[in-house]
Amino acid sequence: MKKELVSVKNLYYPPGGILLWIVIFLELFTFGMALVAMVYYSKDEPEVFHNSRLLLNTTFGAVNTVFLLTSGFFMAKSVESFKENNIKKTANFLRWTLLGGLLFLVLKSVEYYFKIENGFTMNFNTFFSFYWMLTLFHVIHVIVGLVILISVYFGIKKPIVTTSIEDFEASAAFWHMCDLIWLLLFPVIYLIF
Amino acid sequence: MNKDLFLIIWVLLILLTITTALVSGSALSTTQAAILILGLSIVKFLCVSFYFMELKNAHVFWKASILFYVLLFFIITISL
Repeated sequence: MKKELVSVKNLYYPPGGILLWIVIFLELFTFGMALVAMVYYSKDEPEVFHNSRLLLNTTFGAVNTVFLLTSGFFMAKSVESFKENNIKKTANFLRWTLLGGLLFLVLKSVEYYFKIENGFTMNFNTFFSFYWMLTLFHVIHVIVGLVILISVYFGIKKPIVTTSIEDFEASAAFWHMCDLIWLLLFPVIYLIF
Repeated sequence: MNKDLFLIIWVLLILLTITTALVSGSALSTTQAAILILGLSIVKFLCVSFYFMELKNAHVFWKASILFYVLLFFIITISL
């Protein structure tokens, strides 16, 4: 394992690296602006937004939040173990992280299936246009995050581990970014209208 | 770092998630419920960024930036 000795107190080296944090802020602003637009449009059609929100399954949304938060917890534990040079524990926590992400995708697919079957597609109304755009865009991020984590997992399973702490932290930061985005999507889409 | 800190934060996050879901179905007015739900969600957002992402150990610029972003989001969303 390659050890990096850069302090995270340094302005240019936040945990995960400055480039990834620029990406994280760009993503947060993109999703944030879309959510603000959704709230803005809800003022024109408050009843449509309220009735459409009631068509969503809040339990699915809450359980998916639990899946992502639990996955994030194991990711944080995995980074901690990697810093302690405990590869066995790191790989174990990473497997739990991946499972959390996969469960999120499975439940989201079930939710999408019921929505499509009942005709609540993107063209149904303004609320569902936002619902599909925002949640699908987020799902794409989760899939990309899973691909990155699978690649990291196989990287650390090699006999000689060449993955650096910075690379590992950057992958973790991307995964946590999916949590952060969902923590904004869930209350706005599923709860407040 | 305290070995149990991540676990404590995770338990807090799960409790806050359950609370937000319950507030949504409560008898509170739409505005009151929205403020409470968004407020609790912002606490969750900060817990993930400061503890799971270890931003609490980072330079003050990054801490201030994430705090500024999330407060700006809260104020704009509530004021609309």
